[in-house]
Amino acid sequence: MPVRREKAERLADEELMPLIGARDPEAFAVLYDRHGGAAYSLAYRIVGEPGMAEDVTQEAFISLWRSGARYDRARGSVRSWMLSIVRNRAIDALRAGGGRAPKLTFDDEALLEQRPAGELTEEEAIRRETADQLRGVIGQLPDDQSKVIELAYFGGFSQAEIARMLGVPLGTVKGRMRLGLEKIRGKLAEGLA
Amino acid sequence: MSDHERWQEDIPAYALGALEPERAEELERHLASCERCRRDVRWLTPAVAALAEAVPPRQPPPRLRERLLDEVRPEPREASARMRWRPLVAGVAVLAVLAVGFLGYKVGSGGSKAGATYTGSGHGVLAELVCAGSGAELTLAHVHQLPPGGVLEAWVQREGRVEPVKGLFVPDREGNATTAIADMSGVDLVMVTREPRGGTSAPSGEPLVSVPISD
Repeated sequence: MPVRREKAERLADEELMPLIGARDPEAFAVLYDRHGGAAYSLAYRIVGEPGMAEDVTQEAFISLWRSGARYDRARGSVRSWMLSIVRNRAIDALRAGGGRAPKLTFDDEALLEQRPAGELTEEEAIRRETADQLRGVIGQLPDDQSKVIELAYFGGFSQAEIARMLGVPLGTVKGRMRLGLEKIRGKLAEGLA
Repeated sequence: MSDHERWQEDIPAYALGALEPERAEELERHLASCERCRRDVRWLTPAVAALAEAVPPRQPPPRLRERLLDEVRPEPREASARMRWRPLVAGVAVLAVLAVGFLGYKVGSGGSKAGATYTGSGHGVLAELVCAGSGAELTLAHVHQLPPGGVLEAWVQREGRVEPVKGLFVPDREGNATTAIADMSGVDLVMVTREPRGGTSAPSGEPLVSVPISD
């Protein structure tokens, strides 16, 4: 028997997953309401087009609906698992369409469809503040490091492809990826201070 | 430089999903026996997750939620709603139906009639074709990852003539791939080939997998 909406809203993501695995639509709806915005935002960031971002997000959530029972909490949070599905689907969609990520910077605040702050829930507001801080950390990376990371994660290019595109040795690309990720990781470990 | 050090060099690309598929598979085999490298992956993973969290926020259109809930709720869905979907997600529209068990269907008989199911295999890939209306949904399992830029292209054969099926597709990380075939009339064989980005107008090689449509 499907769980009631009010009860599902009180459950943690990890508790919703077994219900989704048992095909509970209310649990699925709650999970979408929590993470659908982040999923769509990531898809849009990668594919750069609203219709395709919508399709990618839909595919990713349907995939989660089908495979919910396979979620393994040892591999990370439901949200990060969900976003990794979205990222992979978005890159696949780009490849199938012969396109690539049209934007390679985080400096597109002007394009945002932002809601007024008053309409944000407390949780959304915290997430948005964290996202602002994360953008600040990533924005502080040297250009050569942020470029290889963005080409890899948002563009879906392999490290060998990036080396060819930038005309630098493969070892240089590997080193820049390592340095950039270590800096982000270090800031996270410091609590984004 | 030791083998271990060489693997450590590749871990950032692996965490970012930027390692070539074959190399990633090799690294995963190494990870199975190397706690030090597993620790390195675990250390970097939150930095990659932060990239996803740092994108500028956008509001998804409300219709996306409606579509998803239509898809997962048990009520019968309207065929007309599915027809409005873009080709990219045409296959997704019936995944809930297919989810009752990819390999659990009985092979149908009696031609390409609605509801009939046909199967095929080749190169380790399993294919299942489920007819619906005048078309069909083709689902593949155990597809190896494609080289960068590679796509899957489906073809139908009618009276000995091979035609491309509009809409290229790619396998997901689990090796599953789905596409839709709009018109199954007169089709006696469905094939899938690996093609370069953008696809081709004629198969450039031997089919990866074929599904015969028997009468």
